[in-house]
Amino acid sequence: MKTVLEKGQIFYQGKFQELEKLIIENDKIAEISIVSNKLKKGKALPAATKKKSDEIVETIDCTGKYIVPGFIDPHTHISLEQDGIGHADSDTNEVFGLVTPQIKAYDAVKMRDKAFKDAINGGITTVMITPGSANPIGGQACIVKTFGRLIDECCIKDSCAMKFAFGENPKGVYGNQKKFPSTRMGTAAVIREWLMKTQDYLKRKKNKEFKERDIKLEALIPLIEGKIPVRAHAHQADDIITAYRIAQEFNLDIVFDHCTEGHLISKELGKWKAKAVVGPSLTGRSKPEVAHKSFETPKILTDEGCVVALTTDYPVISIEALNVTAALAVKYGLNEDKAIKCLTENAAFILGLDKRLGKIEVGFDADIVVWNGHPLDTRSNPNYVFIDGIKALERK
Amino acid sequence: MSIIFNNVRIIKDGMFFPSQKVLVENGEITMVGSNIHKNVDKIIDCKQKYLIPGLIDAHSHIGLTESYSYNDDTSEIYSEFTPQLRPLDGIKMRDKALDDARRAGITSTLVCPSSNLPIAGVCSILKTNGNSADVGLIVEQAGILMSFGELPKITSQKNQTANSTRMSIAASIREELMKVQDYSISKQNKKSSRDRNFEFEALLPLIRGEVPMRACAHRAEDIMTAIRIAEEFDLKIVIEYGTEAHLLADILAEKQIPVVLGPSLIPRIRYELNEKTFESAKILMDAGVKVALTCDSPGLAVETLRIAAAMAVQYGLDERRALSAITVYPAEILGIEERVGKIRKGYDGDLALFSGHPLDIRSRMEALCIDGDLYVYSDDIKVENGL
Repeated sequence: MKTVLEKGQIFYQGKFQELEKLIIENDKIAEISIVSNKLKKGKALPAATKKKSDEIVETIDCTGKYIVPGFIDPHTHISLEQDGIGHADSDTNEVFGLVTPQIKAYDAVKMRDKAFKDAINGGITTVMITPGSANPIGGQACIVKTFGRLIDECCIKDSCAMKFAFGENPKGVYGNQKKFPSTRMGTAAVIREWLMKTQDYLKRKKNKEFKERDIKLEALIPLIEGKIPVRAHAHQADDIITAYRIAQEFNLDIVFDHCTEGHLISKELGKWKAKAVVGPSLTGRSKPEVAHKSFETPKILTDEGCVVALTTDYPVISIEALNVTAALAVKYGLNEDKAIKCLTENAAFILGLDKRLGKIEVGFDADIVVWNGHPLDTRSNPNYVFIDGIKALERK
Repeated sequence: MSIIFNNVRIIKDGMFFPSQKVLVENGEITMVGSNIHKNVDKIIDCKQKYLIPGLIDAHSHIGLTESYSYNDDTSEIYSEFTPQLRPLDGIKMRDKALDDARRAGITSTLVCPSSNLPIAGVCSILKTNGNSADVGLIVEQAGILMSFGELPKITSQKNQTANSTRMSIAASIREELMKVQDYSISKQNKKSSRDRNFEFEALLPLIRGEVPMRACAHRAEDIMTAIRIAEEFDLKIVIEYGTEAHLLADILAEKQIPVVLGPSLIPRIRYELNEKTFESAKILMDAGVKVALTCDSPGLAVETLRIAAAMAVQYGLDERRALSAITVYPAEILGIEERVGKIRKGYDGDLALFSGHPLDIRSRMEALCIDGDLYVYSDDIKVENGL
């Protein structure tokens, strides 16, 4: 299967350029050539993957269209609140668990959920799905493409990160149950305790001193070993700093999720070369810790050298609105190309998939969206969405 | 004690052949054919009625819920896990439900604890005759019932225990299986003198692959979660309920995972039942999946087992496979196909006599034979004493 896109504006090497030809072979991008620089052809893929591909060729004329990498929402809960059924059948938060590193969002994902269709309509081809923020240690997130029948078939990583939560959510959930922790100090203490346990467990495990595994500690080992990052749910500046403090103590790779008050501590975040997933900015100021929410945050953090991605935190806001959050960041001063990077390259980097996703490059996954107007213009619509080279959407 | 059924129609390759005879001696079928001459204790002239193997419901809670009362022994809903529960300890063999099962032509059934908990307990296969469950017991440890999706979620939410999401149900089951794996290894080491763990002991046959995990799951993704866990721990698996199994027919066929399908006659009372269709049995069987039908008694009246098969026919399944889905196939899924599910020499004397085609709901149940115990329900049937 081979698809050829011709003409149009392509987001290539960080800016829009005039496309001559882009060839998709099977699930990968095989060749790109730009009008302004015809000689700069990409290398063709090795012969093995090229076999048979010449049989079916579809050519799409993209004159007047905008071609961008599929957007990535690196923080959602799609299908954990399935199809809008609501709390009666919710799988987002194990509110009776407190410490649940062993649980995997993977086990609750339902690819038939309507939100995946919405995501494709919004030009989003990859999402991270994570357990919610009720528990100080919430569980394992997974990364999936937005098109497919079963998660077993379209998952990229079944366990890509460990979710931690700071601030009002965990203390609210357990405070309301009249349980520990009901304070920020308590939440941090729970997290430290379990990280410490894991360190000791790992040490004993390496010495082969024990015979009985503990599923929670087993789940935390990849985190302690630095194989997966912490995704730290933190809105308030002080919570972001607490998360960083703990990450430093235990030498963890960390990504700040929400990062609502990030702009108030931008110098620190910049110094740390922080990875931040900012959003959902379209919500109201619904609780004290989001009172200082600002659409300027992405710009300020980007200027300080942070790697910034944006999120809808679906189902907090509608998933198609991902490009709207980027447009608002532009409205508040962020450079347009950088805003697109927030939805593509940066998000891929934060997910640890920057060798595969987020850019239109030879050898990258063929996750490509052809928009009928500028992708940050809210009136624009995708004409074509390719995911792994398959046409997931066609709207002429 | 010997019984001969004279002048019956019996099924061969999907067709009913008239004027056959079936001889049952000492609870076992000893001869089948048109030409049997033998002196027996009881002679039944069946007047060309339809004789089929006793029906099998491969998933029920028969006898665990007491009729006419709120006396429910199906589920320890205040616990998190109960692998140690055994149905034999809760069954009331003289309950009305057993009468009903016999009247419905059911001679064998798998009795399970209810599917409210992620790990609910042991399942046992027994016959529906006898005053004590031990009399007709076929296999006591016939699998461990596990449950995914909305039911365990609801139970957990009520009890405020940590299995209120699909994620944690899967994780809790994994945790328990991981512990049992370690327990099993430390047990093999004869030097260790640790105390036995009652829960883990019940799960050892599962971990060793001797009995299957009987995974109750409706939603397609829940079925996949069960399959993933089974594969991770190298367990045998049977899908129970399987409301959306037809969406995974290709996968189930490839992995050769059987489905005990039903109860199809219930309304769509929960979200996970939305895709319920009577076409499931046909779709699954066409793809190559082994399917048995169940009415999940008391989820549905036990008499509806035949209706489930008839509904499958109404939605496109052929009669031969529909009848097999309540006789041969459940026997195979339960691993008792060498004993029950067919009218054949050497098989248990489990026979059901109907006035007409057994999938015609208007057909009357005339007589039933379980291990040679005879129950006659119709005045039309005359039992003569031989010798």
